[in-house]
Amino acid sequence: MNNAIQVANLTYRYHDGTEALRGVSFSVAQGECVGLLGPNGSGKSTVLLHLNGILPEKLSWNGAVQVLGQPVTPDNIETIRRQVGLVFQDPDDQLFCPTVEEDVAFGPEQLGLSEAEVKARVTSALAQVGLEGFGRRATHHLSHGEKRRACLAGVMACEPTVLVLDEPTSDLDPRGRREFKALLRRVTATKLIATHDLELVVELCSRAIVLDHGSVVADGLVVDLLNDEELMLAHGLERPHILRHHHPHGEEA
Amino acid sequence: MINDLVGHHHNRLENPITRLPAELKLDVALVIIVGTVVVPPWWIGWFASAGLLVILAVLFSRIPLVFLLKRLAWLSPLILSVALVNALQPAARGSWVIVAMRSTLCLLTVILVSNTTPFSKILRVLKRVRVPGLLITTIALMHRYLFVLTSEAERMARARASRTFVRDRRARWQTLSTVVGRLFVRASERAERIYDAMCARGWK
Repeated sequence: MNNAIQVANLTYRYHDGTEALRGVSFSVAQGECVGLLGPNGSGKSTVLLHLNGILPEKLSWNGAVQVLGQPVTPDNIETIRRQVGLVFQDPDDQLFCPTVEEDVAFGPEQLGLSEAEVKARVTSALAQVGLEGFGRRATHHLSHGEKRRACLAGVMACEPTVLVLDEPTSDLDPRGRREFKALLRRVTATKLIATHDLELVVELCSRAIVLDHGSVVADGLVVDLLNDEELMLAHGLERPHILRHHHPHGEEA
Repeated sequence: MINDLVGHHHNRLENPITRLPAELKLDVALVIIVGTVVVPPWWIGWFASAGLLVILAVLFSRIPLVFLLKRLAWLSPLILSVALVNALQPAARGSWVIVAMRSTLCLLTVILVSNTTPFSKILRVLKRVRVPGLLITTIALMHRYLFVLTSEAERMARARASRTFVRDRRARWQTLSTVVGRLFVRASERAERIYDAMCARGWK
């Protein structure tokens, strides 16, 4: 069986000369949920942008990134973008249409679906994220948590095989975080989640990859990596409370 | 505060004008604006009937008068200065009244329509009358991010104010120019991220 994501020796340098990625290699199996961890500026978001072909600006033919066995090259970038749904860190970057339903419909419309199919996808995606009845609402009037859900709906409406999320729970209040985690748990697609929310990683992911200074410094089972205090502290992270003691609300690691 | 000036009022109101079809409102508004601009000044009947129609619509819309006047005051400086220039020219004596009347009527119409019609419906009408797609996308994006940028400007202004300890006007202008410059950079960075997000969902 092909890996959902295969990254081999990926390097990337920004225009200002900053070396963002230095020979990053990892893979994610189909159906797996993997956490991508690392301090600020470690290259997590840069890796995610490569999975959807947003980076590099000029796509290469070297096949350093493969999605479902297909290299991300200029030839098949449209196929790759149908398969990889990318949820951006700032919801305001992603929700650019005046109303929620128009924004959720954007992806399916780009896929060339008929009007009826687009409508069905929008209804289903909004129901999936618990935003029934929000279709006509203006995107800029939503709360931060609702914006996050609308972003997820916009990507889910494209029915991607691989879901890539950049800091999905940042800026959410505890209830919003809990609800968003429950939502993600219900999504069956392969998931790669870049985050600082280590409790989310413990609860949702089976495996974690730690990036630092643009390189993979650890890759293994969540419980093993996140319990390794020395490793966590060395790379700007920390052992999450959920692994230190039993969670007060009864949620187990 | 800036959002109060650019935001819409219709979301909070349910009234007969809001319930009217967007097409009808835009058609009537277009007729009033074009008519008011092109009719000769001695067609007093036109101005009176258009004015009466707008006033009736304002009453039915139940939009607070203070809100309307604030918007009008915010949009008027350019037009009032044109009227002022006219008033100071001996050859065009009296025409400033007509300029002021025409502009007030047009502005009131625009304010009324934009505050009784959801923006997405206005865009839908524009799409239906075959306004070029690129122009509609540009207008939609401008409207969407106007609120994000004004909020960002407010946050930056608040942060600046919290660290402004001296009442030096020159320093204040310098800081303001830095804030405006920074806002411009942030806006262009955001534009790039929006474009990336659009591409990620298949924008071609």
